Amino acid sequence: MNDEKKLLNVTIDGVELEVPAGTTILAAAERVGAVIPRYCYHPGLSAPAVCRMCLVEVEGAPKPLASCVQPVQDDMVVHTNTAQARKARRAAVEFLLMNHPLDCPICDAAGQCELQDYAFETGQLKTRYVEPKLVMGRDKVTPEIVYFADRCILCTRCVRFMDEIAKDPVLVVINRGQRGYIDTMTGELFENPFSINIVDVCPVGALVNEDFLFKARAWDLDQTASICPGCSQGCNVSLGTKEERIVRAKPRFNPEVNSYWMCDHGRKTVINWGAGARIEVPMARDGDELKPVDWPQALDALSEAIGNEPGRARAIVSAGASNESLFTLRRLMEELGSDGGVFRVPTGPEAELPGFPKLKLRRDRVPNAKGAELLGFQRSDAVFDSAQGHRGALFVLEDTLEGAPDGFGTNAELFVYIGTRLNPAARSADIVLPSTTFAEMAGTFTNFEGRVQRFEQALRGPGLARPWWLTGSALLERLGAGGRYRTAAEVFAALASEVSEYEGLNYEVLGLKGAGAPGSSAAATAG
Amino acid sequence: MSDGLHPAVVSAQPSQRDEKNPDAPLFEGEYQDRLEKILSRYPFKRAALLPVLNMAQQVRGWISPDTIKRVAEILELSPAYVRSVASFYTMFQLRPAGKYLIQVCTGIGCDLCGAEDVVEGLLKATGTRIGETSADGKYTVVEVECLAGCGFPTMVQINDRMYENVKAEDVEGLLKELD
Repeated sequence: MNDEKKLLNVTIDGVELEVPAGTTILAAAERVGAVIPRYCYHPGLSAPAVCRMCLVEVEGAPKPLASCVQPVQDDMVVHTNTAQARKARRAAVEFLLMNHPLDCPICDAAGQCELQDYAFETGQLKTRYVEPKLVMGRDKVTPEIVYFADRCILCTRCVRFMDEIAKDPVLVVINRGQRGYIDTMTGELFENPFSINIVDVCPVGALVNEDFLFKARAWDLDQTASICPGCSQGCNVSLGTKEERIVRAKPRFNPEVNSYWMCDHGRKTVINWGAGARIEVPMARDGDELKPVDWPQALDALSEAIGNEPGRARAIVSAGASNESLFTLRRLMEELGSDGGVFRVPTGPEAELPGFPKLKLRRDRVPNAKGAELLGFQRSDAVFDSAQGHRGALFVLEDTLEGAPDGFGTNAELFVYIGTRLNPAARSADIVLPSTTFAEMAGTFTNFEGRVQRFEQALRGPGLARPWWLTGSALLERLGAGGRYRTAAEVFAALASEVSEYEGLNYEVLGLKGAGAPGSSAAATAG
Repeated sequence: MSDGLHPAVVSAQPSQRDEKNPDAPLFEGEYQDRLEKILSRYPFKRAALLPVLNMAQQVRGWISPDTIKRVAEILELSPAYVRSVASFYTMFQLRPAGKYLIQVCTGIGCDLCGAEDVVEGLLKATGTRIGETSADGKYTVVEVECLAGCGFPTMVQINDRMYENVKAEDVEGLLKELD
């Protein structure tokens, strides 16, 4: 067992470094910034060394070694980019391209394709192969994933994901050599709650998600660090956006939460989160009608209504609202005298990823139930009961009000609806304020175990929609109840100084990987 | 053990039966004994996959999806894995073949000595295309890489019997000999 701690000396491309015993050459090389080309190797999977792409020259070795499986030995001298290593890789790429259709112009993976990258790098602009190419066609492997057999380089990453991580060994290589392809036992479709990860691990364009097929070129997408709102797990994701729309979500590596993976439910939730007609302007009641107004008018109307002392405040909030927005509402309710707020949590069946059991599609299909709880809101199965007969001030923050009883909110002296969609029940509000989705603002969610994670703004909100913490803090300033916050970071700092569970946390500590509970006192793994 | 075979050879016993029943019971009676013998040779069940598939093909003539599932069950493997292995080796028939499976070597040696003409002659005489079974269900002609008889080109294997030095003009006689 002492071996594990032993440090070995290794020289890679002239740089000397010490690595723990058992480190592969590939991993050691990454530490000195030498990225060795690879196809079959994926950091989240085992390495079978089948692609022969990561060959490097090691002094004293009779032939190039596969760096993804070769452990470093003491005093090893490695050259990752000598003529011998380059020649070996060039040959590997040449074989892979032999029957490859070279259909990059219509391939979804173009621009993010490792085959493209390395073919370019090895400089083979022309093929020496003159025989007709083998054509194999395409097929679906799940209802959502299309497999292009011609593009496949048989790296078996997808096979190993299903085998080792999903523990559902449905995918295998059929036949051998150039006739090889990936398929299931019967050739029928398979289903798995984590299936789309095989698209992520595919280094080429062989496995593509139909949801994204022909939607956008990889280089046209803006990438934004975010958090998946699909359940209380809080998977770290990267939002790919184009022309103010989310076109895809990919998992962002976080060893504490989701590793390299995320579930299919989450991907769909991210894409559909802001879809549909949105509230784009503030509205204030004028007799029987809601009339569009601008923000100063809306805030005037709201502060006047609050000045009239409508009575104690109750709220229905969404557990999809950010901590900052929830905190701002809590402050406002405290001004009026808070009667407490409730939130509801839609649930669904749980699904675990057996190869990385920390990651589950959780029962609670909202991102911030824990955050709402820590800020003093009550989880409830009957959110409308407490609000229904309430005669004071009633706030609804981002709850859709789906399923609200007839005449909801009509008894309230003041009914304020803050949200993204104007459902019929929201039309009886006195004041309607448009707010933004998680993708249209910066903020934080607190996941099921109390880990606080930041998300960044990826899109502009529609029309005049603003994050509620921004308008709410402007309102609080008018009421003389606190400073005005201009960034979500400032709101969070105020929140952290008031709520003990968040003590010691701020946006810098959170970084992009989050921090806080478990084992807290702000257990920081700053990213 | 009813047939008294040594465990090392039970799976390799060539089956000389031309007529095979694709629905024949697998691993029953005599074959149950053989299966146990095969399993006794290996430290774990997965290692017995090739000989077990081999035996299954002898019994049923080809490796059907049903056979794959049955083998996977017995050896505690995933059916997909069994299909993957079976498809890797061209000796396993993943589609039903004709009564006579005619394998012609088109490797470099035989090819230089006229293997293509032999293939063409066979296809013409049987009225099929490569890999297909003739309408009367009798013949399936396939090309293979090497039959380990490079000194006697062209090599042809029909079911379990090898034919050496086959020329295009021998094809007709060859087929007649079968019936």
